[in-house]
Amino acid sequence: MVDERSRKIKHKAGELWGNFGLPFIFIIVLIVFSVQSPIFVSWRNLLSTMGFSSYIAIGAIGMTFIIMTGNFDISIGSMLALVAVLGSSFIPRIGGVLGVISTIILAALLGLINGLFVTKLRIPAFITTLGMLFIFRALAFIYTDNYPVYIDNRFWLFIGNGKIFNIPFPIFITAVCYIAAYLVLRRSPLGRYVVAVGTNSRAAELSGINVDNIKIFAFTFAGFFVGIAAVINTATMGAANPGLLGQNYEFQVITAVVLGGTLLGGGNGSLGGALIAAMIITFLGNGMGLLQVGSYWQLIVTGLVMIIAVSLNKLKFYLLGQGDL
Amino acid sequence: MERDHHYAIREYTMVRFLKLYEKIGIFILIILGSVFLAIASPNFFRADTIFSIITQGTYGGIVAFGMVLAITSGGFDLSVDAVVALTSVILAMTIPDLGIPLAIILSILFSCVVGFINGVLITKFGVNPLITTLSMATIVRGVAFLITRGRQIPISQSEFMFIGTGKLWGIPVPIIIMVVLFVIFYLLLYQTSLGRYISAVGSNESASAISGLNVTFIKIMVYVLVAFTASIVGVIRTSQALIGIPSMAPGFTLTVLTITILGGTSLSGGRGNLLGAVFAGIFISMIYYGLNLIGVQYFYQMLAVGLVLIFALFIDGLRGRYLEVARIRGIKA
Repeated sequence: MVDERSRKIKHKAGELWGNFGLPFIFIIVLIVFSVQSPIFVSWRNLLSTMGFSSYIAIGAIGMTFIIMTGNFDISIGSMLALVAVLGSSFIPRIGGVLGVISTIILAALLGLINGLFVTKLRIPAFITTLGMLFIFRALAFIYTDNYPVYIDNRFWLFIGNGKIFNIPFPIFITAVCYIAAYLVLRRSPLGRYVVAVGTNSRAAELSGINVDNIKIFAFTFAGFFVGIAAVINTATMGAANPGLLGQNYEFQVITAVVLGGTLLGGGNGSLGGALIAAMIITFLGNGMGLLQVGSYWQLIVTGLVMIIAVSLNKLKFYLLGQGDL
Repeated sequence: MERDHHYAIREYTMVRFLKLYEKIGIFILIILGSVFLAIASPNFFRADTIFSIITQGTYGGIVAFGMVLAITSGGFDLSVDAVVALTSVILAMTIPDLGIPLAIILSILFSCVVGFINGVLITKFGVNPLITTLSMATIVRGVAFLITRGRQIPISQSEFMFIGTGKLWGIPVPIIIMVVLFVIFYLLLYQTSLGRYISAVGSNESASAISGLNVTFIKIMVYVLVAFTASIVGVIRTSQALIGIPSMAPGFTLTVLTITILGGTSLSGGRGNLLGAVFAGIFISMIYYGLNLIGVQYFYQMLAVGLVLIFALFIDGLRGRYLEVARIRGIKA
């Protein structure tokens, strides 16, 4: 009886954490920084930081799909840099609109290449993408000869800096991306296949799902969103710098996905969680910046947040009785 | 029938090729590289050129010994580049007060603590090795910057340079260090029970745990040893530069992983190859030398190492597929 009761209490705690844990952390982060810094709490700062969080939030969509299918992609930071310098260098020839589209298509192609390598050659994903991380970055350097590409196209710049009713445009893009991804994941057969492959890839294969294709789709999908993030990020900076773009991006995005409640190694995931986690990470960075915490401390904090996020996730699934500690 | 026959022949050829590659692949690569470099540079066949190439190869090679253990045990360590930097700055900061020998011991000990924390997080907290060591890399790099406030710290004791640039019996000291470590790790992996346990854990962790192995201890030991090798390289490179650099060795982890896998250590765990790592290290160093001859910028090195890694992974993937099939069907080649 006692066992049964403690199991129920644990389950309840796990559920509570799963549903309200992240919003709770987010609110605490907001309160702590509001008390410390008056600038932080201004509408202007809150809205613009929301806008900046789209950079991590949009990347986290595709990474959620990849991690759900039991893989990783740690090349996305370099991928972002490579497609950004390519796409922005096309602007003088093909214009802003086509430049944006080509950036996104190129990113999806690079994601496709990652997916093909991982599935067809049966190489573990993270080490393939580690190789790609260096290859993409090197190609970005080689293509630009280590000079930044300046962007003066109005359409491209609007995507990152524009405002509608005083709300930064990236927030709208993030909303659209998340709604679309939610529909794909929860309202389409494709999404059900992704979940099936993630929870039990052998069973999925036996029930006639082409597991390789689903994994390739996840990588391509992730590339697509990296392309969008690349446009937003370079637009806010006004230039595409092959060395600086996307540094540590994979780290921030994977942290967001894991903190958002997607289990490493595959299984069901949470897009909403990833969105809130991306905002937590961005607001943490913004707050620490405003409080003038040194960038070295910020490095240490990002590392710690990642480890804590994974541990909390493990704890949640343990409490829910779906895994051991 | 016809198709089956063709397929069997192809499979047989593939298995033979892969077996052959396992034995002599890396040597063929080195010979091809040597021929190419000998044509490209008249200075190649001089003792100091060859010594300098091998010395460059020891950095990756030494850490690859540790990485071989980690991969054999079914894990990974992506924090080695940060550990090299941490060793470097601790060394530079403590040498004036402690003297050279104590400072070296202290910096190596600190690095081993990083490995210990890695091991504890992976085993006790069940955090994925990739995530643990990636986070540790960020944290350790942050600490290295923090304790030096981002500055580089020059070392005034020039006798310290001996470790990285000196020669014993005409052979550069780093090469001697690598040979000594090779012997130690070889004995450890193939002659001691710990080595057998490491392979056992890598092949089948739960079976090892059931048969009474202390998996936690074995894994923690592995990560301590990886950090140990990384700190040795930290000492060597700091000695060459005579300066403690918090941003030392960016991208070094990729080089080490490439060397380990090119050297024939299987990613699926359970099978390590130390000698292969030594030669793979030299091969990578030859690529660097060749690229320096051409005079291209450093990002071509990134590209080259990335491509070599993908090639090595490709071979490893083929090996996993064909040799497994061959083993099941009992094909001998």
